[in-house]
Amino acid sequence: MPAEQTRISPADAGRTVAGPSAIASDRKAALAAYESAPVPTWRRSGFWTTTLRDLDLESLSPREYPAVSSREELPQVVRDAIGDEQYAGLIVQRGASVIYTETSAGNPDGVIACTLEQAFDQHPELVAKYYGKRVSSEEGKFTAANAAMWTGGAFFYVPPDTSVEQPFQVINVIDEPGVAQYGRLLAIVDTSGKATFREFDLAPDIDGQALHAGVTEVFARPNSWAKVKTLQDWGAGEIFDVSTKRVEIARDAHARWFPVHLGGHLTKQTLDIVTAERGADMRHNGLYITQGNEHLDLFTTDLHESGDTTGDTVWKGAATGSSKASYEGLIEIREGCQNSHTYLQTHSLMLSKEAKVDAIPSLIVKTDDVSASHGGTVGEVDENQVFYMRTRGISREDAIRILVEGFFDPVIGGFEDERLEQLVRQRIAGKLAEASEDIAAYAATK
Amino acid sequence: MADLEIINLHVRTEEREILHGVSLQVNKGETHALMGPNGSGKSTLANVLMGNDTYEVTEGQIIFNGEDITGEDPEKRSQAGLFLAFQYPAVIPGVSVANFLRMAVNAHRDEPINVKEFRDKLKTNMDLLTVPREFTSRYLNDGFSGGEKKRAEILQMAMLEPTISILDETDSGLDIDALRVVSEGVNALRERGMGSLIITHYQRILDYIKPDFVHILLEGRIVEEGGPELVAKLEEHGYDWIREEVAQRAG
Repeated sequence: MPAEQTRISPADAGRTVAGPSAIASDRKAALAAYESAPVPTWRRSGFWTTTLRDLDLESLSPREYPAVSSREELPQVVRDAIGDEQYAGLIVQRGASVIYTETSAGNPDGVIACTLEQAFDQHPELVAKYYGKRVSSEEGKFTAANAAMWTGGAFFYVPPDTSVEQPFQVINVIDEPGVAQYGRLLAIVDTSGKATFREFDLAPDIDGQALHAGVTEVFARPNSWAKVKTLQDWGAGEIFDVSTKRVEIARDAHARWFPVHLGGHLTKQTLDIVTAERGADMRHNGLYITQGNEHLDLFTTDLHESGDTTGDTVWKGAATGSSKASYEGLIEIREGCQNSHTYLQTHSLMLSKEAKVDAIPSLIVKTDDVSASHGGTVGEVDENQVFYMRTRGISREDAIRILVEGFFDPVIGGFEDERLEQLVRQRIAGKLAEASEDIAAYAATK
Repeated sequence: MADLEIINLHVRTEEREILHGVSLQVNKGETHALMGPNGSGKSTLANVLMGNDTYEVTEGQIIFNGEDITGEDPEKRSQAGLFLAFQYPAVIPGVSVANFLRMAVNAHRDEPINVKEFRDKLKTNMDLLTVPREFTSRYLNDGFSGGEKKRAEILQMAMLEPTISILDETDSGLDIDALRVVSEGVNALRERGMGSLIITHYQRILDYIKPDFVHILLEGRIVEEGGPELVAKLEEHGYDWIREEVAQRAG
């Protein structure tokens, strides 16, 4: 399907920049902030630098696409991901346009699944209460860009005392080079409600550059249960992803967040989970696998803004090819947050001589009477394990695949989501098959 | 020719030669005990038979089912019907016992085993080894006690039905009850026709699994061979008796 080649450059697209009238002036300010901010470079002690110097920002623009009326007309990469699964709400954003929306007729009263633009129009008070409350436009060039230029977007809302079984799903898809996509998700599960929110960022193997600068805000209101599953799989194209995602957990609420990173040319993401009020409890279990010359830079914060909160963060990652992957996990416990208990661990697996992995857990604790600890390991495939499995008739290649899948199993098994589990296992197996010679050669040197 | 024929095997690591010409024959249905003090080369022999390339075979041959497998990959040896129960099995995190068994069983077949057939077979063998149900959903050897690890080894052996098994110090670290269970498992497989080479430092396991033949390995050489009576003699006199005898022969 050909794109409508309307080029919406930030400077001249009145509608785009104005956006919903309620935030028109905010968007202007954000645009000014975006334009005046230099393109950032993220440096850390040691060898680590994430730079966007290879990204030709000027060549990219938000691109509009016509809507489609059935799943069959969606891009292949989207159809593969959704299969015949049923959703409480499904929103597919291609470039700058939401091209497909689906809501379940069986949703309980008060459940909302629509574009964020529609939500501003139809539920202004509800949106105003949450929009931008956790991710400010002032955090940096790309949150400003998102605030100024997002279009479409997704809004999911589950009212108090309401439990929704089927997941809410937003898919951001980029299927052409030259696209700048500003995805935006706002999801709320209100008091004593229960919901699952999924956000997939997908692309086929495009030939050229594109940008995704997304913002995701999820709110788990008091006593609610939220499951958040974010999956990134940008394919082999040159897609740059600079996104910020934040989950806020209110009093006595529980949130489980499973971020899955399966591919992207260059990714710089900030993923924060905030236990904001007493009794808030979170689990943050992520995984990544990098290949080729991918560059992945993740920074997560387990932020405790209140006492009597609990957290458990486990991240697992593997790097193949000449990819570089960095996971930095911070536990931050603010002043006056007594009786907070949290733990962070990160484990990485090097699968190639050329790959680089970096795992940095850290702590900022400003309260006594808390327990906060962290640990990290960087390992390699152990030749003793490989030999053991080979003596059971399993080939070297299969043994390595099984070991890597086993390495990820504690995270994948925790999804409690058969479809996502299958999708992730399949993709990981595919990536390991592509890198198998390299991996085997590396393991044999150990 | 014997089903497993080890001919004048010389084996070395980077540092030194460990086996100085070992010859041994094991047939289906036969139970052989290979005894020797620590450091005599027992575990090296077990590893080399299975194709561990940390060791280099500098001379001699391993013939299995009439084929020279001296340079063969470990997985090919396993598929041909050779099995090693490890003294220190590797931990395989994230892979459940049941999944691992299924993958191992399938690696020995052209078509994957069907679900029911696998389940029935697993149940039979778990009953044989008095393995509790929840055992199979645990990650293989991850956090297992010494006894659980050895049971998991014998369970794999029972599932794969090898023609010849090498049991490398399966008895060490086992309490008497676990030893009895493991031995009963081995005896049941022996009745199905499996041959075995039981490597041990102690005679205790041989009270439960009666060997047909006994070989004594000392400093990389087989120095004494005989029947079960050799076990009794060792028990009475210890390895010093062998050492003295070897010294006299040389002297």
